[in-house]
Amino acid sequence: MNKKTPYILIMPIVLLGVIFMFGVINGIVQGFGYIPAFNLNDVTLSYYKEILADPTFLDSLKVSSQISIISSVLAMVLGIILTTALVYTGHTEGRILQVIKLAIIIPHTIVALFTISILSQNGLIARVCYKLGLISAQGDFPLLLYTKNNLGIILSYVWKEVPFVAYFSLALMSGINKTLGEASENLGASKLKTFFYIVLPLSMPSIRKAFLIILTFSFGAYDLPFLLGATVPKALSVQAHIEYVHPDLRHRPYAMAMNGLILAITWAMAGIYYLITKRNKITGDIHEEF
Amino acid sequence: MNSKGFISLLSLIIIALLLVTGCGKEKGISKTPGYNEMDAVSREFNPNVDFEQILEEAKGNIVSFYGWGGDENRNKWLRQTVAPILKERYDVTLEVVGMDINDILAKLAGEKQAGLEQGAIDMIWINGENFYSAKENDLLFGPFIEKLPNFEKYIDSEDEEVKYDFGFPIEGYEAPYGKAQMVFINDSATTGETPGNTDEFMEYCKKYEGRVTYPALPDFTGSAFVRTLIYDIVGHEQFSDMEADKEVVKKAIEPALEYLRELNKYLWNQGKTFPATSGEVDNMFEDGELVMTMSYGSYSVAVGKEKGIYSDTVRTFIFDKGTVGNTNYIAIAKNSPNKAAAMVAINAIISAEIQATQFEELRTLPIVSYNKLTDEEKAGFDNVDMGEGVLPQDELLAKRLPEMPANIVPIVEEIWLEEVVGK
Amino acid sequence: MKNFKSNRLLNIFLYISLLIISVPIVILLLWTFTARWPWPNLLPKTYSFRAIKEVFAPHAKLFQTLFSSMLLSLAVAILSVIIGTMTARALTLYDFVGKELIALLSIAPNLVPGTVFAMGIHIVFIHMALADTVLGVITVHLIYTLPYSVSIMRDLTQSIGGRLEMQAYVLGASPFKSFIYITLPLLVPGIKTSIGMAYIISSGQYFITLLIGGGKVKTFSVLMVPFIAKGDRALGSAYALIFMMSTLLILIITDRVTKKLPYQNDGGKYRWNWN
Repeated sequence: MNKKTPYILIMPIVLLGVIFMFGVINGIVQGFGYIPAFNLNDVTLSYYKEILADPTFLDSLKVSSQISIISSVLAMVLGIILTTALVYTGHTEGRILQVIKLAIIIPHTIVALFTISILSQNGLIARVCYKLGLISAQGDFPLLLYTKNNLGIILSYVWKEVPFVAYFSLALMSGINKTLGEASENLGASKLKTFFYIVLPLSMPSIRKAFLIILTFSFGAYDLPFLLGATVPKALSVQAHIEYVHPDLRHRPYAMAMNGLILAITWAMAGIYYLITKRNKITGDIHEEF
Repeated sequence: MNSKGFISLLSLIIIALLLVTGCGKEKGISKTPGYNEMDAVSREFNPNVDFEQILEEAKGNIVSFYGWGGDENRNKWLRQTVAPILKERYDVTLEVVGMDINDILAKLAGEKQAGLEQGAIDMIWINGENFYSAKENDLLFGPFIEKLPNFEKYIDSEDEEVKYDFGFPIEGYEAPYGKAQMVFINDSATTGETPGNTDEFMEYCKKYEGRVTYPALPDFTGSAFVRTLIYDIVGHEQFSDMEADKEVVKKAIEPALEYLRELNKYLWNQGKTFPATSGEVDNMFEDGELVMTMSYGSYSVAVGKEKGIYSDTVRTFIFDKGTVGNTNYIAIAKNSPNKAAAMVAINAIISAEIQATQFEELRTLPIVSYNKLTDEEKAGFDNVDMGEGVLPQDELLAKRLPEMPANIVPIVEEIWLEEVVGK
Repeated sequence: MKNFKSNRLLNIFLYISLLIISVPIVILLLWTFTARWPWPNLLPKTYSFRAIKEVFAPHAKLFQTLFSSMLLSLAVAILSVIIGTMTARALTLYDFVGKELIALLSIAPNLVPGTVFAMGIHIVFIHMALADTVLGVITVHLIYTLPYSVSIMRDLTQSIGGRLEMQAYVLGASPFKSFIYITLPLLVPGIKTSIGMAYIISSGQYFITLLIGGGKVKTFSVLMVPFIAKGDRALGSAYALIFMMSTLLILIITDRVTKKLPYQNDGGKYRWNWN
């Protein structure tokens, strides 16, 4: 084939990539205090320093990390089980898959809404307990949302992300199962062995990508932690959002600096992911680079 | 289908794509900043001409009114009552765009940085700290309000809330739009009491332990609620010229902070955490989890009853010493491409006629000066049935306290976060 | 597939998952028609059509916004698949300068907080006269959907490999024809998922559409979010349901259309290559 072909093929994404880089750099620059529109004309690290020196920063970081890591790991495990269930029961298309897609479509703010409807002290589960005589008033029901352990947020993210992981890795796992999986079983391997030694490892590329996506997303998004989280300590992304909507426009650099920190940590996470997966190249990632 | 079908499907898709982006581009271009067919006349809009001329210039234009889009009644009123009047009388088309004020300011700031002379935003629904910020950062056009004939005709130019917005001089950069005042809401069927001051309020919370709370600051409503409590304990005059220094403010509100910390014990979740938004607090009240809520919309009980959200026994009450009230305004963006039309539209909105419809349909307190109205116009307001379970206008206005200056409010919010939550 | 005890367990898991997904959706449905649903009722106490009336009120221009919104996201989805396939092809079957960089670039948008990118790109777009335009919005949506499209198409392109196409070429077919008639049909499952994913992401965008579209480009999401954020559960649920149904509709249509494409043997199931 033509030597020039790849370069033609990548032209659109290069164009978009350049636009993307421009945008990001512009945004980062604001975190260094350079926003001429507000008469902030010096490039400075002071915003970053101030944020890092604030005692609440570490608390926020802990909250964000806790939420993203726990929810993503849980979602990945449950997601793998769901994908497996879909593949092995033959439901790779059709109505069941549509229901799963529905969960992916629902916006996060709606998830917050019905999480409150179900899990709050005033929610459906509490009301069922009341009807069963287990509790006598709303206050008796344990507080699951707005707590420092961020349980409500984690559960909401898991609710949204399990279907996503399943949908994302379905194609690959289904294909592997149909070809190599079937071959393995025909050669006499048990179903269990086939799954754990062939199907699952070869499906990992998709699963791992899904994991990285949900990990970084849950770290950086603010809607769920804002609506379902405790007033203090706030997740990093919530803090950044509050600075962004602060009426005093001179707080913008704070928002941008915080976002810059989120960006740095996100890239660190991706970097760690890359290092770990590079090492595991043997377990089936024949063509895997990322 | 075979190869031919496939190719034709593909080409169909590509053509469709081009159409979409093509149409979009056109839509975009006619509104694209910088590309104004008829702007040769007024690159520099001059407001200092006869209003007649401004009316002429406004004819046939589209004016975009940007503001919070979450009030469906207001959206309806703007589109179905105000817009037809503007179109019929002044040939100005009103376009209502829902956008949060911070996103509006972000957009204007970006446009300023990029040097965009003709933006997309004409009128802005704004007040308080946001106005202060926007004016300070040169994002607004003005002064314009004195040029509006209806300003002279209907507005009391000496009114504090016409001269100052959250303590800062308006200097003609925004026109009053509607008035808001903090009110408290509870259900007489659940709780007979209506606490009239902070002492009674503390007793109230003790009695209904765990069933009262307020939105976490810096939520707009939560912030106003706390400020009302502060006013009740330490008075309000001292804040109007207070130095915007954290220590100074803290010292001034210390008694109130102690009160709030004491109050925490009896609040929902012992004050360890607060609901993030006023919407959540309202919902908890509607569901019976809380016995009380609060709102800036003085007649929200009537509105709620009409929506079927509140039962018949819900009623409004305020503190004896009063509650904070403010005015919200309409401003014009500095890079608005339709300043004439904006001025015409704003002029119409501050007229008694349209204010009366706002009063009637939205139960928003009007900003026109009652004394300046003709008898007929007065009747337009008097005859409105405000609904059940609300307080009469004169009682509200008699117990209305001014807002703290725009630069003090964030400091109070910061202190609350550090000194009250979970303490 | 032999029937196994594990199959039963998996079935149970599957149905529990479906239950967990469906219950909230049923709650949304109930809320759409609810006036009051106080403690301790398990079902709404009073019903009303207020939310429905508001949502479908003529002044709200629901259908206009919905329709143009769907068209926009569809455009994004299709473009995303085309560019995704091209990029995936380049990354999988060729070696070229800057390959690692392109690979990194194609996942980068997921790793950048939305606000940073939005604020930065806004100024760039104003200079390019793309701000407040449909094309501008499509472009930024593309930036967000491409990571998914590229990723999905890469997995698929990898498994199919270049062998079959190469064979066709060797047998005399032009490169273009071998791509269209051999590889492309095999890529259809990935195309399907890609379009679906890209559409979902594009239609769900709020902040970036708001900032870049400047209020001029109205998508359904931009219309819907303020009502949800306000906490009006009836109205929010009504809008959310319409949003979900319309998106699902597009996904179903996409499925049906791709099924009709010419590639046949397995009646819609994936066909893989033995490398």
